[in-house]
Amino acid sequence: MPLNIVVCLKQIPNPDLQFQIAPDGKDIKRDALNYKLNGADEYALEEAVRLKEKSGGRVVALTAGPKRTEQMLREALAKGADEVIRIAFDEAAAYDVGKVSRLLAAAIRTVPHDLVLTGVQSDDLVNSATGGLVAGLLGLPHASVVTRVEVKGNGLEVACELEGGLQRLYSIALPAVLTIQFGANTPRYAPLPAIMKAARQPIKELSPTALGFASWDAVPLPYTFAVRELSPPAAKGHAEMITGTVDEQAKKLAQFLRDKGFGRR
Amino acid sequence: MEAIAVGRELGSRSGGHARVALFGHDVRVLADVLAGTGTEVLLADDPALAEYTPDGYGQAARAVVESANPRLILVAHTSQGYDLAPALAGAMDLPLVTNCLALRFDGERLIATRRLLNEKVQAEVEIASSRPIVATVRPGSVKPAGPSAGGTVSVMPVRIDPSKARTRFLSIERPQVQDIDIAGADIIVSAGRGIQKKENLPLIEEFARALGGVVGASRPLTDMDWLPKTRQVGQSGKTVRPKLYVACGISGAMQHVAGMKDASLIVAINTDPSAPIFEVAHVGIVADVLKLLPATLKELKS
Ligand SMILES: Cc1cc2nc3c(=O)[nH]c(=O)nc-3n(C[C@H](O)[C@H](O)[C@H](O)COP(=O)(O)OP(=O)(O)OC[C@H]3O[C@@H](n4cnc5c(N)ncnc54)[C@H](O)[C@@H]3O)c2cc1C
Ligand SMILES: Nc1ncnc2c1ncn2[C@@H]1O[C@H](COP(=O)(O)O)[C@@H](O)[C@H]1O
Repeated sequence: MPLNIVVCLKQIPNPDLQFQIAPDGKDIKRDALNYKLNGADEYALEEAVRLKEKSGGRVVALTAGPKRTEQMLREALAKGADEVIRIAFDEAAAYDVGKVSRLLAAAIRTVPHDLVLTGVQSDDLVNSATGGLVAGLLGLPHASVVTRVEVKGNGLEVACELEGGLQRLYSIALPAVLTIQFGANTPRYAPLPAIMKAARQPIKELSPTALGFASWDAVPLPYTFAVRELSPPAAKGHAEMITGTVDEQAKKLAQFLRDKGFGRR
Repeated sequence: MEAIAVGRELGSRSGGHARVALFGHDVRVLADVLAGTGTEVLLADDPALAEYTPDGYGQAARAVVESANPRLILVAHTSQGYDLAPALAGAMDLPLVTNCLALRFDGERLIATRRLLNEKVQAEVEIASSRPIVATVRPGSVKPAGPSAGGTVSVMPVRIDPSKARTRFLSIERPQVQDIDIAGADIIVSAGRGIQKKENLPLIEEFARALGGVVGASRPLTDMDWLPKTRQVGQSGKTVRPKLYVACGISGAMQHVAGMKDASLIVAINTDPSAPIFEVAHVGIVADVLKLLPATLKELKS
């Protein structure tokens, strides 16, 4: 059974970096950041491409984000997406998950979709909300934290991860939304010819009017949302630090461990 | 129990009160336990709710929200909670804020405190709405609700239509264990993505041996099959309480910390001084673990 798959991809600042707060306190400083595809989304993209390779169909990669996300979309083309769409929502931070999800849902309505995949969480905002919200907005069934997907008859069988290593298995009717967990598969590298080809492929751009909104500020929301303030976290506690050169640190650590009764003679 | 604590607090501060919705089948005993927190428990009992499914629990949750019309709907930010809460918000067109460390009302506005970017940035956001707001509460951010008098259980009739269920529960799969159980170990040396390559695992093993401990790992390492899944510490792995936990190149994501924060002594080694692991560690070292461990081994052996 060929599947029309939409996979939602987000570009995030590399979370290994250190961050500074912008002077107005409403966002981080963004001038010197490097961006990458969100971790879980790599698995979502791979799962989409594998399902297509097995069952036939098409993969559309969709993002809501500024121009810089085009590079991520080209990467998705090189890894097997058939079409890429950018909702031209230029808000760099996009802290309101409800708004982003409504944009994604509106865009998904414009393309055929038997299956919508998202990552389990975005590593910058850690909402773990977009997939479920989109499912609710579109009126589709969903399952979260999915580690395994199999096509069975007209539907899917999925394994969802719970706490403590347990998995819950469901059957789910299509069309449906799944949020894909880290480790669900082994993401592929893009082959060089595919990267070259992707550089020339078109990126479809959706403006507010294409989605039926007068502007991005006119998206109807049942609430108002605002960022009050970003701040460096007030640490609950902090470790006692062992400083010095590596050799000094090693000496102090070994001594400390011995003092505490660890380490065999 | 933590979400109940938040609800009780916000309820009493705003001149309202918290009620607890419990879904399941034959869960009267649990309902009584929850009523022990002094709250009114609304019990929705139906055979179709015996096992969690997004559809069945979604139907029940919608019925409760429609009849109780609360200002705020609190859900625990667990894998089941963030399955249920966003879909509920989407289906009923409600505002949503997830993974909150703290919540408070400022007049009509709900103020949520969240953590972003690997715990490195704290954010306060506000939501105002005339509709019920859905919020999920991050586990471990407040003390669970303690006992209090005056709780009741009232049965709320909900009828779940199984023919409307598009998700069907099949089974629960348990991990097969044929490995050492790290949960029983006194000393655990855990490796994270900071060890860079699988080839560096023997260094971690040697360090663990020198201390008489076993090797654990953060999730990416077991995802990549560098170590068996049984060695994974954290929310979706093992919860451990050793006497000594050494975190080597582990950033300290909340899902990892959930599994090791109660260790008696936590030593963290990380090149990034802003890594959140230093918030839970007792002793921290900003260093390249691949250089520090060999040097420390030499010291331990001398
Ligand atoms: C639903 C869900 C469940 C999850 N369950 C778990 C779980 O049970 N357990 C778990 O661990 N994770 C879990 N995760 C994943 C979790 O969110 C993090 O992605 C993961 O813990 C990160 O692992 P890490 O710290 O090894 O890697 P990273 O976050 O990549 O951190 C690597 C760290 O190593 C440091 N570093 C780099 N090089 C060196 C060096 N040479 N020397 C010293 N330090 C160095 C870096 O500064 C960085 O802090 C879960 C995620 C989700 C969404
Ligand atoms: N701006 C966006 N564009 C496309 N997909 C997104 C966007 N934001 C979030 N997502 C998807 O939603 C998932 C969960 O994100 P979050 O709900 O923010 O934790 C991500 O892994 C992405 O798949």
